[in-house]
Amino acid sequence: MILLGCSEKRTLPYLGPKTVGTQGDTVFHQIPNFKFLNQDSVWVTQKDVENKIYVADFFFTTCPTICPKMKTQLLRIYERYAQNESIRILSHTIDPTFDQPAILRDYANKLNISAPRWHLLTGEKKDIYGIGQKSYMVTAQEDKAEEGGFLHSGAFILVDKNRHVRGIYDGTKEEEVNHLMEDIEILLKE
Amino acid sequence: MNKLLLLVPFILVACQSREDITRQQYVVEGMNLYATHCANCHQINGSGLKDLYPALAKTDVWQRINANQMTCIIKVGQKDSIRVNGKKYQAYMPGNATLQALDIAEIVTYLRDEWGPEKSLYSLDSARLALKNCQ
Repeated sequence: MILLGCSEKRTLPYLGPKTVGTQGDTVFHQIPNFKFLNQDSVWVTQKDVENKIYVADFFFTTCPTICPKMKTQLLRIYERYAQNESIRILSHTIDPTFDQPAILRDYANKLNISAPRWHLLTGEKKDIYGIGQKSYMVTAQEDKAEEGGFLHSGAFILVDKNRHVRGIYDGTKEEEVNHLMEDIEILLKE
Repeated sequence: MNKLLLLVPFILVACQSREDITRQQYVVEGMNLYATHCANCHQINGSGLKDLYPALAKTDVWQRINANQMTCIIKVGQKDSIRVNGKKYQAYMPGNATLQALDIAEIVTYLRDEWGPEKSLYSLDSARLALKNCQ
């Protein structure tokens, strides 16, 4: 009895508002279609994450506070899944006016990372803030009172192969990111 | 007479360790301040972050930048690019306007203790004087 309990597989929840479908079934919250430019000035859309598990976050290149910490942690994920074609990272800039593709490219080069495994995305401010707040359920907005001029959370959002949000983690903490990587392993077996 | 002779070495030892105790206090405080204000970019182990942010451990900055200059960089930031271990870093470093002379003296003492060539106290007076002369 106890042994069975222990070997039971852990599953991840579906986060976000659920609705009832026409068949009376549960429809889980899903990341909508999107279209952003990456560091190579290439359009990235939902098609680029089709059948992929991905980690999303929000940052800006001149961020003096938590972004470097988040990037340190994302690098761990990037390096750990270097050989895994099912994993992607999508980092959205919340300062798209300044963070044009050329700036993002320079940043990517300095971090020694590249697309398509890690996209640094820019686009219309309203689109980025919109998808951040409504779909990824994180704080991402301009705020002159904040150091650096933007208010954003240090969250990493784990999205499954069907664009459902399955976990939200504090991307500034090593142990939280360990947890995220354990959860990626669960999603890989789904 | 005998008692006096016995006391002499004792006093000497006590004086030496008092300075060392101050240094150790600075190191401990500096370590906490470093974790809060510096480690985001330069990392807890001083390794820096790839080509974005320069390392503090095992670098040649210690030969070129003295403690007074370091104090100013911490307080007012580094606007121009900086060369570390032959590599040029362009991302500007924001200053830490809220840090006071004592905080910076503690941070610099910690940095030297951890990665610098000389593990000595960087005094509060030195930090105060250096801050007056920052550009």
